[in-house]
Amino acid sequence: MATPPPSPAVPFRGPSRSLPIFLFVVLVLAAFVASVKTAQVDFFVLVEAESRRNLFRFLFGMFPPDLSLDFLRLMLPPVLETIQISIMGTTIAILVGLPLGLLATSSLTWGGVLHEMGTMGQRSRRLLRVLPYAFARGLLSVFRAIPEFVWALIFVRAVGLGPFPGVLAIGVAYGGILGKVYSEILESVDPKPLEALQATGASKLQIVLYGLLPQAFPDFVSYSLYRWECAIRASAILGFVGAGGIGQQLELSMRMFNFHEVTTLIGLLALLVAAADLLSARIRKGIL
Amino acid sequence: MYRAEKLSKMFPDGLVAVDGIDLAIKKGEQVTFIGPSGAGKTTLFRMLNLTIPSTSGRLFLDGLEVPGLSGPRLKEARRRIGTIYQQQNLVPRLKVVHNVLAGRLGLWSTGAALFSLVRPAEVERAYGALQRVGIPEKLFARTDELSGGQQQRVAIARVLVQDPEVILADEPVSSVDPTLATSLVRLLKEISTESGKTLLMNLHSVELALSFFQRIIGLRDGKILFDSATAEITEEHLRELYTGWSPEGDAPLDRNGHTTPLSCRPLPRAL
Repeated sequence: MATPPPSPAVPFRGPSRSLPIFLFVVLVLAAFVASVKTAQVDFFVLVEAESRRNLFRFLFGMFPPDLSLDFLRLMLPPVLETIQISIMGTTIAILVGLPLGLLATSSLTWGGVLHEMGTMGQRSRRLLRVLPYAFARGLLSVFRAIPEFVWALIFVRAVGLGPFPGVLAIGVAYGGILGKVYSEILESVDPKPLEALQATGASKLQIVLYGLLPQAFPDFVSYSLYRWECAIRASAILGFVGAGGIGQQLELSMRMFNFHEVTTLIGLLALLVAAADLLSARIRKGIL
Repeated sequence: MYRAEKLSKMFPDGLVAVDGIDLAIKKGEQVTFIGPSGAGKTTLFRMLNLTIPSTSGRLFLDGLEVPGLSGPRLKEARRRIGTIYQQQNLVPRLKVVHNVLAGRLGLWSTGAALFSLVRPAEVERAYGALQRVGIPEKLFARTDELSGGQQQRVAIARVLVQDPEVILADEPVSSVDPTLATSLVRLLKEISTESGKTLLMNLHSVELALSFFQRIIGLRDGKILFDSATAEITEEHLRELYTGWSPEGDAPLDRNGHTTPLSCRPLPRAL
């Protein structure tokens, strides 16, 4: 029996592993340098005489805020409108997101614990199940991919100026986000109680009602509330394209160079967001 | 009640958990399954309660060929089998009453099920079942506030309201203390006896198996090692079941990646 050839020494694995890392670092650096150029990052512009003058005019113009009773009274309706837009928008977003989110949950529509029995064999049947799933996923990503600002522009064209296009824009854009997050929450739910429910002969919808939703509920509420808070902020931007609320006033005041009023409006918005945050925390505590 | 012919389950990762099992269980019979962890007991039970399909062989539930079932007929068949799991198979955030009434879902329409979450239907039935298992006062408590033993009682109450023909209990007492374990096994046996329900139970504890059941099936490595009356079980049987002839060496890993204790190491497949 011939002696086996001496086994080769353990290969030095350093270079083979560090080469990709090296290339990656070079790529990141290149991307960074290119971004500096194309994004026209030049901090010195900020301190140039003219921009400095403009900046200071804006900043000093903002103080003191306009706290006259007349102005505040005038701003009460837009503030209420902002709250209403955010509540209605989030409600529509939940109504859009929940059914789409359920359909976009892979463990529910196809595969997963709930299906091992049903998905045996029949390829055509399985395809039929993937169809609504793919449809929901696609719709959600379209809703999500287009920013609420762009949705607002579209809806302003469609239904005219006012709070309603803002509501629709938040409803659709946030519906896309909520649907996606809902489906992720649903997929991470503990499957063991679901298996037990299925074993009692429960239908899929009953499993959703008794197993999935109760387990997902706290996360659903928590994330929906967070989205509501975002909607309050978003409604400020949406106002710029004519979708009502504080944003519309903000845009008006800015265009009229009434920077005192701008300060007041920004302050009001900050107050609203803080209040929403406080309320959300209360609700979250209550349901956990 | 059950008949299995060469029933096997191979998981997608190639693990053969159940390997050609032949089995016949009569209506109303009380049978316990014992064997080392990783022997395929839980997989067998998940096939028997129609949760996962077999990969080969045949399985009959009361003369009904299982692999042919789908849709409403599959649900109907599942309704006839009540399962009690080791743990964590209740919905923690729901009130006890809903977890118990979940046993009725197979009989309820989806609308009725939804309505019951708001205003529980058939509360007396749930209360009666909880009374039977000894915790009627927990009817409206939140399930995750209960102790492990109490949750297991809720699971038994769920099976009671489901009123199935077969009760499958998959290591129902592994996560409770020994005194409670004995009382829960006794309770399940009583329920089975008084209403003529077939009872199949996986047990970790040989002691419980020997003292409560007339027929014992020993499983190892996905195969039936023995299937006999309790009176005929000898030391030899048990030694073979739990120690085998596994030679000294690295302990094999079970499905969860744990090393099996020496005393219950499975037989190497090569032998």
